[in-house]
Amino acid sequence: MSNMEYANPFVLDLAKKGTGRMRVEFINPFVKAAYDVLLAEVKSEIKKGELSIQSSAFTAEEVTVMIGVVGQVQGVVLYGMSERTAKNIVSAMTGQTVPIFDRIVESAIAELGNVITGRASVELEKAGFSCRVTPPMVIVGRGAIISTVSIQRLVIPVEVSSGAIEINVALRESS
Amino acid sequence: MPKVLLVDDADFMRMRSAKLLTENGYEVAEAENGQVAVSKYEALKPDIVLMDITMPVMDGIAAVKEIRQRDPGAKIVMCSALGQQTMVLEALKAGAKDFIVKPFQPDKILATVKKFAG
Repeated sequence: MSNMEYANPFVLDLAKKGTGRMRVEFINPFVKAAYDVLLAEVKSEIKKGELSIQSSAFTAEEVTVMIGVVGQVQGVVLYGMSERTAKNIVSAMTGQTVPIFDRIVESAIAELGNVITGRASVELEKAGFSCRVTPPMVIVGRGAIISTVSIQRLVIPVEVSSGAIEINVALRESS
Repeated sequence: MPKVLLVDDADFMRMRSAKLLTENGYEVAEAENGQVAVSKYEALKPDIVLMDITMPVMDGIAAVKEIRQRDPGAKIVMCSALGQQTMVLEALKAGAKDFIVKPFQPDKILATVKKFAG
């Protein structure tokens, strides 16, 4: 896939899944931001898998970056991947082979999630939803259960040359 | 050799920017939050500061205000993923000279540093 088709297919996908609560205006900014940032940083072909909506708790992958969103839109965004993918991404970002998952890899992956979420928040503001993002947290180790409580998660599988990344967007409009 | 103070709580971003700048002939100092940046600014008097916004202890906007209060001529450029119009305006109002939106853009960073620090 040479370009990401992030507008109309999403609307259709969401309609098919019959959810009235998930607002597409909250999702497309993340798809656009992920595409732009990964293209700039990883410089690879980017493929988007099939979207799904989950109401159950999120089970952490080997590496999970968690970033909160507060403001007119609130919730959390989670970026999950394997350690191998994390190392490969940082190798692509730096142009140097990264053999071990260390503090620098952790920092780089956190920053990647931070930049995607930050860019998405700019798009959300343009759509009329002013919000801020909280500093990223990194969870290392598979299996931790993270509940988004009453907020549904939209799962966006993304694949780059470095490996697979699962973006989970659990946002709702503030009351 | 022009001096650049890099302020970012992300180790990776400081490492990456420091490598870029030192390879291009700049002397680099680093700070991991706004409070450390204010101290290092006073001690080192850098030619330019590249400042992140969201940081623990003291954020970038507060640090810009503190530094500009001590040195009204300080050249500070924000370097952040948060490029909302409100955020840019807040930074400029605090005294920042320019705003670079992440992701990492080596050419943009070098051009901006050259513009303000020579």
